[in-house]
Amino acid sequence: MIARFVLLAWVLVCLLAAFLWAPLVPTLGETTRVLYFHIPSAWVAVLALGWSMLHSLLYLRRRDVEHDHQAAAAAEIGLLFCVGATVSGSLWAKAMWGSYWNWDPRETSIFFLLLIYGAYLALRSAIEQEERRARLSAIYSAAAFVAVPFLMFVVPRIYFTLHPDPIINPRGKLDMDPRIREVFFAMLAGFTALFYWVLSLRVRIARLERRFIES
Amino acid sequence: MVLGVSLLVWGLLFFYLLRLERRIADLEKR
Repeated sequence: MIARFVLLAWVLVCLLAAFLWAPLVPTLGETTRVLYFHIPSAWVAVLALGWSMLHSLLYLRRRDVEHDHQAAAAAEIGLLFCVGATVSGSLWAKAMWGSYWNWDPRETSIFFLLLIYGAYLALRSAIEQEERRARLSAIYSAAAFVAVPFLMFVVPRIYFTLHPDPIINPRGKLDMDPRIREVFFAMLAGFTALFYWVLSLRVRIARLERRFIES
Repeated sequence: MVLGVSLLVWGLLFFYLLRLERRIADLEKR
């Protein structure tokens, strides 16, 4: 329980620091603050979908339903954070580029990612038999993750994009004001901890549901 | 204003998650 309150305090301090302590980027103005939500959301989405892929592969190897719970929960949370990254990015696009949606390579990529993992959830809900659902969705999740690095990292570098360089630029440097960097990485850590907390809750719910169905 | 809304949203999210965790713990004990 103490860890939960530490996380709450951590995020609240990060928020205060983001608004009251970290400077604004001159070209971004007030929208600089979106950075502290948009990029951590995208990071957690990739982490969660990678976690889902890892547990899908473990399920296919060991046939342990616990891995199926982990894979499904991580995919759901990954999709949720992907929506968060899309919405925050869209608000940012409106402020910087003048419209919410431009079919920029980044936007198109994340749209396809949402479709791919939306289909994963649809697949899971369409199969009633537990073992079959776990096996087919594990195969799908393991295959679907191949698209994640391709859509998130490769496509935006092939085509011209309005989206700024990633945080670590092509020269391998981190071009950020030190205070922005500190708040950003603190927020990244907070989002990551939040992901593992929500994941543990979702997995425990899945275990309870299974116990309820079996009894 | 935006800071206030952000703090409120995060506070509510944590409150909800803590309640959910307590409820799950109750169900696990049964």
